[in-house]
Amino acid sequence: MQVEVSRRKFLQGTVAMTVVGGTALSTTNLLSNEHASSAKVGDIPTFTTKSGQAKSHEVATLCEMCVNKCAALAQVENGIITKLNPNPLFPKSKNMLCARGNAGIQAVYDPDRLKYPMIRIGEKGEGKFKRVTWDEAYEAILNGTDKFPGLAKILEEEKDNRSSMLFCAGEGMAEHTFKQFFQAFGSSNWLNHASICLQTVASGYGVTLGSYPQADLDNAKYIIMGGANRAEAIVTPDTMDAFKRTKGRGAKLICVDPRFTNTAAKSDKWLAINPGTDLAFVLALTYVTITEDLQNQKYIDANFKGWEEYKNSVLTNKYTPEWAQDITGIKAKDIYAIAREFAAAAPKAVYYPGRRSTFAKNDFQLRRAMAIFQAMHGAIDCKGGLIFGSKLPMKPHEGLEPLYAKAESRAVNKVDHPSKGHAGYDDCAIVSGGGSWISWRNHFIEGKQPYKVRGMFCYKHNPMMNMPNTAKTAKMLKMMDLVVTIDTMPSDTVMYADVVLPECTYLERTDPVKTFGGVEPSIAVRNKVIDPMYETKPVIEILNGLTSKISKPMFEITKKYDEDVQEQIDDEGLEATYAEFDLTLPFKQTQEELNHHAVSMYLGAAEVLHKDGVFYPKMDKYFKKLNVNEHQYYPEKKKYYSTKKGKPVTPSKKVECVIASLAKKGIDPMPVWKDEYNFSVPNGKFRLLTGRHAQFTQSGTSNNAMLRDLMPENFIWINKRVAQQKGIKFADMIEVSSSTGKTQLKAYPTEKIAPNQVFFIHGFGEESQSLTWAYKNGGNDNSVIEDHIEPVYGAAAMHETNVEIRKV
Amino acid sequence: MARYGMALDYKNCINCKACEVACKEENGVLMGADKHRIWVGTPDIQGEYPLLDIVSNSFQPSQCQHCDDAPCQEVCPTHATYYDENGVVRVDSDKCILCSYCMNACPYDARYVDDRTMTVDKCNFCSDTRLVNGEVTTACQNTCPTKVRTFGDLDDPNSEISELLRVREHFSLKSHLGTNPKLFYLT
Amino acid sequence: MKIGPLNIPLKEDFSIKSILGFEKSFINIIIALSVVAMLGMLVIGVTNYLIHGHHAYNVTREHPWGLLIAVYIFFVVSSTGFCIVGSLGDVFGFKDYTMISKRAIFGSIVTIMAGFTVIAFEIGHPVTMLIYNVLSPGLTSAIWWMGTLYGLYLTFMIIEFYFLLNNDMKKAKYFGLTGLLVGLAAHSNLGSVFGFLNARTISQGVFYPTYFILTAFITGIFLSFIIMGFRYKLNFNDKTKKLLEGLAKIQGLLISILIFFVTWKLLTDMYGGMPNRAEVAHHIIGSSTFWAEVILAMVIPLLVILKDFGKSPVMMFFASLIGMVGIFFMRYNLVHDTQLKPLQMMKVKEYQLAPEWIHYFPSSSEIMISLGGLGLCILLYYVGTRAFNLDEEAHH
Repeated sequence: MQVEVSRRKFLQGTVAMTVVGGTALSTTNLLSNEHASSAKVGDIPTFTTKSGQAKSHEVATLCEMCVNKCAALAQVENGIITKLNPNPLFPKSKNMLCARGNAGIQAVYDPDRLKYPMIRIGEKGEGKFKRVTWDEAYEAILNGTDKFPGLAKILEEEKDNRSSMLFCAGEGMAEHTFKQFFQAFGSSNWLNHASICLQTVASGYGVTLGSYPQADLDNAKYIIMGGANRAEAIVTPDTMDAFKRTKGRGAKLICVDPRFTNTAAKSDKWLAINPGTDLAFVLALTYVTITEDLQNQKYIDANFKGWEEYKNSVLTNKYTPEWAQDITGIKAKDIYAIAREFAAAAPKAVYYPGRRSTFAKNDFQLRRAMAIFQAMHGAIDCKGGLIFGSKLPMKPHEGLEPLYAKAESRAVNKVDHPSKGHAGYDDCAIVSGGGSWISWRNHFIEGKQPYKVRGMFCYKHNPMMNMPNTAKTAKMLKMMDLVVTIDTMPSDTVMYADVVLPECTYLERTDPVKTFGGVEPSIAVRNKVIDPMYETKPVIEILNGLTSKISKPMFEITKKYDEDVQEQIDDEGLEATYAEFDLTLPFKQTQEELNHHAVSMYLGAAEVLHKDGVFYPKMDKYFKKLNVNEHQYYPEKKKYYSTKKGKPVTPSKKVECVIASLAKKGIDPMPVWKDEYNFSVPNGKFRLLTGRHAQFTQSGTSNNAMLRDLMPENFIWINKRVAQQKGIKFADMIEVSSSTGKTQLKAYPTEKIAPNQVFFIHGFGEESQSLTWAYKNGGNDNSVIEDHIEPVYGAAAMHETNVEIRKV
Repeated sequence: MARYGMALDYKNCINCKACEVACKEENGVLMGADKHRIWVGTPDIQGEYPLLDIVSNSFQPSQCQHCDDAPCQEVCPTHATYYDENGVVRVDSDKCILCSYCMNACPYDARYVDDRTMTVDKCNFCSDTRLVNGEVTTACQNTCPTKVRTFGDLDDPNSEISELLRVREHFSLKSHLGTNPKLFYLT
Repeated sequence: MKIGPLNIPLKEDFSIKSILGFEKSFINIIIALSVVAMLGMLVIGVTNYLIHGHHAYNVTREHPWGLLIAVYIFFVVSSTGFCIVGSLGDVFGFKDYTMISKRAIFGSIVTIMAGFTVIAFEIGHPVTMLIYNVLSPGLTSAIWWMGTLYGLYLTFMIIEFYFLLNNDMKKAKYFGLTGLLVGLAAHSNLGSVFGFLNARTISQGVFYPTYFILTAFITGIFLSFIIMGFRYKLNFNDKTKKLLEGLAKIQGLLISILIFFVTWKLLTDMYGGMPNRAEVAHHIIGSSTFWAEVILAMVIPLLVILKDFGKSPVMMFFASLIGMVGIFFMRYNLVHDTQLKPLQMMKVKEYQLAPEWIHYFPSSSEIMISLGGLGLCILLYYVGTRAFNLDEEAHH
């Protein structure tokens, strides 16, 4: 990015590199000898982030380094955030902050972060921008520049088809705020991270049990984790609960994973499984349970629908452990043992649902089979099993949902698909709320959409890094006439923007209060710690400014083309009509006011939330410090283990084994094995796996200096024997290539991966030159992953790509 | 006064490096390859895929052991390394001459050179950031997701750490060297 | 030359002219140019250190003692060796050896000063050291004892030299004995710096504090051959020949003892495969610097001595030069081998190789400062030969 900001160079291990690099305060202030003398113990000069001179105060906030939103207490001294400590009050995070949480300070003081609005002056993707004021940025969005058209021109040309603008967002507490803009604007094209994340698993459980449950790992005696790497992909409170109890201390953890993760290291047994064959494993477990009569038949009789059909399918198809052994690589005797152990521990047994992007095309069936297997033992909505928990209600506030007559419906095939019955993507069966990013993108660049989509608003989202097939994503962004990004860092996607709107980081804003359900429900809020630095703003203020600029001009276009609106104006008058279309309405209040309103039903909650960050009824009575490390949030008897009387929450209140409506869409109505699910890798190639380490969150943290200190770059896991045979040694540069593209990174020979598979962590290899540490650092998995999707929701299937590797 | 030590339920450790980052942020430790006060170590895993030795891949958090009979204190020519009133082994950077004798004498690789003062530095149980304010916690103990660490006063028989050490079997590192570490690994 | 009550006898013709007025033979010119080059390197190396601090060196967290420590030990061992050889004559009264006393004592002074110069650029805060060594001494610290005793030793050596110059043999003997005892104490404390490292099993124990004295004597004798060789330009008179033959025979005995000691040390290290000890010993035996030490410092000189039973001092001179290179490797090996085995054997990051052996090679700054120290030592000795009469006085 060529803007007049000097880039700081990384001086390895020299004095210049210090922990707090705030540009608002020169670093020497905190580290100079004057402050050193204030230290008390033994009068030793100390060079710490705490000067010990100024008074410090604490602000309760919620972390945003990943999706968990752990409660933190930010220590502020002289206007500088010096430390982030855990806030013990939050039942979900249980008084901890992980490596990323602690490194949040580096995100605020990252010299590379976006500081002011910018508009493109170079070619799309070049990263050449010009600094502008907020007003100029809004003006550019409305009326464009000589380089790109504005909303006014686009909507005029598209005759007020509001769906000509795509809205996409990443997960965040303010995603809802941005979605209100989407709804008020009137587009029907919404895409979010769901289809490159947990869409399939959430829906698999959703259609089977009625909702995506949580696991009570604090009380489960037997846990099967299939491809869920809780030791590295930290999820609160699961990670906190599970690993205190494995290795003979209360719970037995069976880790089923193609590679040996840290979770496997913490487990009581690790089973190496062929990628994408978990379904066979679960079907075999089901088979053993049925044939040995280990299921909870009473529960099944009362709460299952379609059980007989499913049971017969399992038996007649002979999904025996011996059959599964050939497919999965797991020994039959292990499958027998696990099925029996699970049944013995039930209902305090959990087949952990998982919460990640899709592995393989059969993921939906896999999750359904897992849900059925769990429910077969009656381990639903009970202590030690899968739970639905309870959620503290909050007052919703109304958004604006105007109807635009000229807004087309979602950009999917208009023609009713012959075998699927109604409009949808032709490559996946169901169009969910979050959509299918890959389907949508591929249709867009292939010109297969039923109308023109001209631009996009992208909030807290990085399609260039988060989606398989980076080349196609770049093409999409280039083809868009108007790309507006709202982000904190100059990511690869921001490089393709026409207008860049800088949001402040999470430590500089108050976000919408949120209610967190589960066994110990609570409400928590992110309180602003310091004022936004540079010229950044929280998204609610950005949208306030943007809508103030565009609302009336947009309405003029609507008036011109929308006959329904014209009629309404004739009937009700202009002002009354405009009141329904005034885009500024959702953003008129401050976030603090909105939060106050949301929790107004709880007496005193708003004040407690502002001071302590967390609230739940009777908190002052229930919350106790038990010992140095542990707290009680709810007394045992008050915890919400069972809230649905042990029943599922489907509309029928039964566990749905067979879903006929799926058949109409060409999807198997119940989990069955198909030969095409078998795992095979062509000779000389390797199946590419992706995954997480606990030190990074996808690509969002790749520029964090402190986290880079822990892990400077990603390496590709290659089996030691294969590496030796190919003459590859540790840290040799390897080129990984597939039909999609190629990338380069260093080699890590290890026995923790199978000889026909390779792995490297996602989120590296960025191309944005403005990210000092992340630029061209390591390899980018999405340059190489092919854009396979699973057939139900069109979620990206990440483990279906075979790659070649060679030493360079 | 107190005699602080730490008990580590190391089987809880998931090697997430939260403690490493918390230590660096709390104490202003420089970033850089060998500049760390605390770390989580893991041996290379034994075995061949898929028959890997799970127990060989244990995670062992480590740092200065704050030995009661610290070799570093014994070998320091200027008493820059000393025991403070809480039994914590400290380094007085005014007196340190960087002869590096303590770095070689420490059996635990706990020490490194702070480039800003050109003196030896190491874990000090957050003495100057927490203990001095009366907070009996350390940054690493406070932040741990799986609550590996219990920090407390070993001389107080009613403290939680004393109770833990009475009821849980534990070991210390390199105990044959007679250093009497105050870090205890609970088995 | 008079300084207050002190009378320091200098040569009458001592001047810049006499310093520069050496015979301009080919060898001499080479040596002179080398010394100048080495002093130049000292300046560059020191400048580098003053700018970058310890980052100019290749010392690391796991290997904090590098080439400069080895060179410091090399110089102080040489100094103690000179002191032992020098005391044969003027302390213990062996008449054949009195002729070398003055020269040897002077040698002990210049070598230890070169050693202090080199270590001044390794110790991070030398001024702090001078203050706090006195104010808050660590009496259990071998480095404190070594430093303090070497300071005392240098003082005694200077005083002894003063009395030797003034031909006051009685006082010289008194200070010589005290200096020798303090020097031996200091030197074995230097060995105990390594011997007290309980965590480093390859170095821990009785070996280094004791065998240091042995190697000091050996080094002293090597150096005696060298300085006498330069003094007499390899054209020895009978008296010198007798001295050197005696020294050679002693050297033969000492080297044999040394070989005996080192062999048993390695055998006991390797026997039984004790962890942290045996594999380090194996690694040492496989390293080239170890064999450089053995061949250059032990085997070749011993063979040369045995060949003629010490009767060919010219051959001994060259063997001593080779021997000193070997002695240098001996010191370097001592420092490096102590730190070979990592004390923390686990990976601290996922993407690294598990630690096996600690690798180290001196940086250019370290090499330059070391050579600079050597150049300084040679220069000081040379100026001393021009300033003082280092031969035995005619009367006794």
